[in-house]
Amino acid sequence: MNTRYEQALNCQQPDRVPFLPAIYEHKAWFVGKTPSDVCRDPKLLTAALLAEYERVKPDALTIGVDIYNVEAEAVGCKVTYYEEGNNSVPSIGHEGAILQGSDDVTSLRLPDPRMDGRMPLLIEAAKAMVKILGKEIPLRGAVSGPFSLAAHLAGPQKLFLLTMMQPGIVKELLGFAAEVIKLYGNAFIEAGCGVVMFDSFASSDLLPPEMYRELVLPPTRGIVDHFHQKGARNIPLIIGGNTTSLLEAYLGTGANNILCDVKADPQEFLKRCSAMKKAFRRNLDSALFLESSPADIKNRVMRSLEESNSYPGYILGTGVLAYGTPLTHIAAVREAIDEYERAPAAGQ
Amino acid sequence: MKELQDLALYLEQGQAQKVIALTEQLLAASISPQRILNDGLIAGMAAVGEKMRNGDMYLPEVLQSAGAMQASLKILKPHLAREGAQSRGRVLMGTVKGDMHDIGKNLVGIMLQGAGFEIVDLGVNIPPEKFVEAIKTHQPSIVALSAMLTTTMLNMKSTIDSVHLAGLSSNVKIIIGGAPVNQGYADQIGADGYARDAVLAVDKVKQLLGISA
Repeated sequence: MNTRYEQALNCQQPDRVPFLPAIYEHKAWFVGKTPSDVCRDPKLLTAALLAEYERVKPDALTIGVDIYNVEAEAVGCKVTYYEEGNNSVPSIGHEGAILQGSDDVTSLRLPDPRMDGRMPLLIEAAKAMVKILGKEIPLRGAVSGPFSLAAHLAGPQKLFLLTMMQPGIVKELLGFAAEVIKLYGNAFIEAGCGVVMFDSFASSDLLPPEMYRELVLPPTRGIVDHFHQKGARNIPLIIGGNTTSLLEAYLGTGANNILCDVKADPQEFLKRCSAMKKAFRRNLDSALFLESSPADIKNRVMRSLEESNSYPGYILGTGVLAYGTPLTHIAAVREAIDEYERAPAAGQ
Repeated sequence: MKELQDLALYLEQGQAQKVIALTEQLLAASISPQRILNDGLIAGMAAVGEKMRNGDMYLPEVLQSAGAMQASLKILKPHLAREGAQSRGRVLMGTVKGDMHDIGKNLVGIMLQGAGFEIVDLGVNIPPEKFVEAIKTHQPSIVALSAMLTTTMLNMKSTIDSVHLAGLSSNVKIIIGGAPVNQGYADQIGADGYARDAVLAVDKVKQLLGISA
């Protein structure tokens, strides 16, 4: 399979810019269920992914709903789910963090993806999707990045303070997190999927870039190398926020598709990524999809595509789309991409 | 006064032990607790806010400074009460329904407390009806809503709508904050104000209540 998305990842000019909207909890809406329903039922999750594929026609699918919770829950954190039609996204509050009252990383146990938490049901959905759509579209299992997983295990506030006060514990915790992520990612790879790693808690809006380089980069690079060795060719790493100041370390992770989020500088990404022949996904603001008309969205897409300078590794994406985001608003992006490609000035 | 400048600097550097020691030293030297608060702690946190806005300080350092401020406030509070310092108003705060993030909200709470406001913190994942009920119970001057996700910022609007529907909007001013929101969103959903960070949240609350200093 050499899809449009994979061509972009290899910086080979695809027939048009690939579109990867960030649809996680929103996929539940396509089947008339809540995120809490879909994330706990492999059949519903498979149905939601199929509905997403049919209605949105993205250039790759992400297997995951509450993408930051799965590994943490399998290690022992408590996820809050919502019942009775409440469409909030399941999450782990600081009281649900397994290390909230302790710093003892050695007390943590590595999970078994075949039996712990919801890992088995996500893998089951991945296998079902590989069977149905594996030859048509790239499928990526969502895994946490090490800092985000550590933030869920310790509680974010505690982890951020530990980075200043006890960096040794943070290194130990990140090492543990990396092993958990490798195990979970292996299970996706064995199921026939790729992986996509999310680590927005390590954003340079929150964590100093030098701290990222010292603490987070080594385990992240280790995870990416590990997945490559396991046969995954493409490893996207998604870090939200303004990561312009993090760009060098971000590229140093070895991921071949990074995120240029709404607040980041696309020209800097274009310059650095093209020099290293790495793909990047430029995000449209998810608020745009709630506040604006399809015509306004199309105008914004056109501006983004013009900024791309026809870079072959350019992918268009969105911030996380809210549950219930109108389909017409998402479709407007695809329409704009098609119109742009048809326009005489495209590619010049 | 040099000691107050030192206090502000230690706070900016997040040196909690030095902040505690100097707070006690200044009180022992009969420096007014209000002056320690204004010229030491609030001045220090204002510098923190400025540095964060400029990208010279990040969350771990800000949390350390906030922790130092909290420790100093704990010492100052009984002295402020004895001095007869009046509350500048009551602020009801919470993270909206479906959102469990609380770091930003907690920082705003600490800063507002430091600025002399009484805080009623409802916590995280607070549905609109609970805000409405709490407004009736606590009768705050300000309601501060926090959201960290693009998916939950929508619940700020439903909270504001509920406050309007309950006929309480003339009694309170509502401000919003959090990573995905901005002034435009605040205007769009009918919030009375928006603040980018905890220091600016204090300024916004003062402005909305007509407090000049």
